[in-house]
Amino acid sequence: MANPLPRTELPPDAELIAAWQGGDEQAAAELVERHARPLARYLAGAGAPEAELDDLVQETFIRAFRGVDRFRGHCQFRTWLLTIGGNVLKDFGRRSARTRVMPLDEGVRDGAGDPHDHAVASEAETLLAEGLKLLSRLQREVFLLRAQQGLEYEEIAAALATTPGAARVHYHHAVRRLKEIVQ
Amino acid sequence: MTEERLNELARKLGTRAAERVDVEATARRVVERLREQPVRRPIWVQATWLRIAAAVVILVGGAFTLRQIWPGATPDDHVTYFIADDLGDLSTDELRTLLTSFDQIIAESVVPDSTSDLQELDAQQLRELLREG
Repeated sequence: MANPLPRTELPPDAELIAAWQGGDEQAAAELVERHARPLARYLAGAGAPEAELDDLVQETFIRAFRGVDRFRGHCQFRTWLLTIGGNVLKDFGRRSARTRVMPLDEGVRDGAGDPHDHAVASEAETLLAEGLKLLSRLQREVFLLRAQQGLEYEEIAAALATTPGAARVHYHHAVRRLKEIVQ
Repeated sequence: MTEERLNELARKLGTRAAERVDVEATARRVVERLREQPVRRPIWVQATWLRIAAAVVILVGGAFTLRQIWPGATPDDHVTYFIADDLGDLSTDELRTLLTSFDQIIAESVVPDSTSDLQELDAQQLRELLREG
C-alpha cells in the first residue's frame, strides 16, 4: 500500500476564515500575511500615500475581519478585501481633506519613499499613476482589479456589485483615457 | 501606447511601496488590534432585539390606548352615547322598548334577565338604569 503524499498545499482562505471565526488568531495572521502585499500594491496604485500604506493595510484587515460575517463567498476573499481597501482609502481621503494633513493625490507623486526609487520610476509609470487619479473611482477600481490584479470581469463584477458587461465598459473607458494621458 | 503596455505598467504600479510593507509585523499588529477591540456581535444582536421588542411594545400599547380613549371607537359606544343623550325626551314605554332593543343588540350576555323585570320599573328607574348601562 502506497503511503499517502504529504499535504503541502496551503489551506484555502475559506478554511482560514472559518478558523478565525472560531477564535483562531493564527488563522487571521496567516490571512494577513497571504494578502497584505497585493492589498498594499492595490492601495498604492489607487493613490495611497506611501507613508500611510502600513496603516491603511492594517485598517483594511481590521474592517474585513470585523465584517467577515457579511462575506458570502460571492467572490474571492482577496477581491473582497481589495474593495474594502478602496473604501478605507476613500475615507482616508475625506479625513485628509478635512484636516489638510496630506492631500490624497500627493501620495504616489511624492510621498515619504526613497528619493532614489522615485528617480528610477519610469516616466510612463508616473504618468499612469497621475492618470489614474483623473478617473472616476469606479473606473480606477475596475482598471486596477483587471490590469494590476489580473482578475476576470465576472470576479470584478461580483465584488463591485455590477455586471461583467458594465465592468468591461468601465475598463475600456479607463484604458482609453489612460492612453491619452500617458501618451 | 498599447493596452498591453498599459497593463504591464499597471502590474508594476505600487510594487516598490508594497515591498516596504513588513507583512509579519502587520499581521502581528492586526491580531493585537483585534484582540484589544474584539468584535461585539452578541451585544449588537442583543441591542437590536431589544429595540425591536421596544418598538412592538410601543405599537401595541399605543394602539390599545387609542382604542380606549378614542370616542366612538366601537359601535357599542355609539349606541350608548346616543341613548344617554336623548333619554329625557322618551316616555316610559319608549324607554322599555329601547332598553329591550339595547339589551338585544349589545347586552344580552351582560343583563340576560333584565327584560323580565322592566315592567316593574318606573320611568325614573329606567332612565337611571340606562345611564348606568
